[in-house]
Amino acid sequence: MKFIIFAGTPGSGKTSIIKYIIQELKDDFKLFFAKFDCLQTLDDERIAKEYKIPSVKKLAGELCPDHYTALEIPKIIKENHDKDIIILETAGLCLRCSPYIKEGLGINVLDIISGDPSRYGPILTEADIVAISKGDLISQAEREIFRTKVLKANPGAKTIEVNGLTGEGAIDISELIKKSSDIKNEKLTLKHSMPSAICGYCYGNKIIDEKETQKRYLAGKELKNLVPNLNCGKCGFKSCNEFIRAVLDRKAKKEQCPFIIKNYKQK
Amino acid sequence: MSKEIKKITILPGINKFSEKENFKRIDIKKGEVVAIVGHTGSGKSQLLYDLERLAQKDTKSKRKILVNDKTPDKELRFDPKRKLIASLAQSMNFFTDMSVEDFLQLHLESRGKKPKQGLIEEVIKEANRITGEAISPKMNLLNLSGGQSRALMVSDVANISISPIILIDEIENAGIRKEEAIKILVEEGKIILIVTHDPSLALSADKRIIIKNGGIVKILNTSLKEKGIAHYLNWIEGYGLDIREKIRKGEKIKNVGIYCEPIKSKNNI
Repeated sequence: MKFIIFAGTPGSGKTSIIKYIIQELKDDFKLFFAKFDCLQTLDDERIAKEYKIPSVKKLAGELCPDHYTALEIPKIIKENHDKDIIILETAGLCLRCSPYIKEGLGINVLDIISGDPSRYGPILTEADIVAISKGDLISQAEREIFRTKVLKANPGAKTIEVNGLTGEGAIDISELIKKSSDIKNEKLTLKHSMPSAICGYCYGNKIIDEKETQKRYLAGKELKNLVPNLNCGKCGFKSCNEFIRAVLDRKAKKEQCPFIIKNYKQK
Repeated sequence: MSKEIKKITILPGINKFSEKENFKRIDIKKGEVVAIVGHTGSGKSQLLYDLERLAQKDTKSKRKILVNDKTPDKELRFDPKRKLIASLAQSMNFFTDMSVEDFLQLHLESRGKKPKQGLIEEVIKEANRITGEAISPKMNLLNLSGGQSRALMVSDVANISISPIILIDEIENAGIRKEEAIKILVEEGKIILIVTHDPSLALSADKRIIIKNGGIVKILNTSLKEKGIAHYLNWIEGYGLDIREKIRKGEKIKNVGIYCEPIKSKNNI
């Protein structure tokens, strides 16, 4: 099985180029498409309908989208072990992060008019392939300068010019996907670590104040020690952290988590 | 390593209805200008794309492109530094915030070239032959007009992105001296393909390829009479540009002295 991750800022043309790539690969391989977004998306349904391939939608909501992606990857693989290629698209990124895994292929779709490539962090610098989109909007001179800057930021990357309207570049990326290595029954590794961010604000504090945020952090930490941290979903939330936030915001009750009761008893 | 390109050849593929294109081969020789015409959405840009990536039956159209009668090397197709083809897309604006001279310098560097003394001045000088509004080296790219930007792009392709084959997607929408622009590009014996809706440009090419439903349906050689008509149309448009400049300078237009100059030579397109 091959695991391909497409990442890029909203509107960079990821979905359009992915459609052409699916068209290119769907007759020879069993595909699965997973779309990650922050708030809403219909791309998974559109692609499933248009190309007759199974798909899923994953909305990060209150979670950091990259943390959420990492949490969901093992589930997606487990549920789709019969597929040849899994294509994952994620848009909800801050530029500090990258969702790529070492064992798969990471593709950054980079909008050529989105500014200087040196401003981008791991989303660009950790990518295996940089697909430069919207090149038709600018001159050849600017295209060449942009490519040089991309290679300066990520010297090992393959750069491919893509066009979501005409499908330019889809064949080249499809070829690289076919040649990429398979993931085996190993533990997957993130190419870049997640942000070191556990504080009162992460647990939903909104008041900008040291003491308030410390109070919220300690309350959150206490609950964090009681929940299973498996994101099993039995509480009705898709992750333990969201459940903790809801409890602290008095939008949910502790008892909704069956493990909390058990942990109390053990203590 | 720049092997000389003597000609490129298009071998037939299929149209949007998967029917085979009805021609044996199209040869385009060094120094020729070929127009690609057809309605919007007919597949003109697909042909440019096939040429740009030197298609080997691996694009939607299933066409095959030969260079000097041979299948081109893989590196020629995928390594941008060795690409044979420069292209002028439909873009009319720059997005980079810097001066004209710094920009040209950066482009030279990104091509890995040592800048020749006076080359940047030469690029700007040639651009100024194409546009009516003079560009100076210290101007910011973002402040250039559509015509100035386009003129600079043409001159850059001719002098910095030096490639034996040039693809042009609709040069007309720009308020520039088209005839002059094409002349600057053709000067060094290149192969030029222009996608166009413009009658004077289409008729000033050596050949025109007509596209319908994603397939090439006809190839016409331009007659001498058609070239004469093109020259006449170009002259009228040039005259229009002159009047435009006079109006912008605040001059009064007194009389319209239209007369047609004879064609100077056969190759004067």
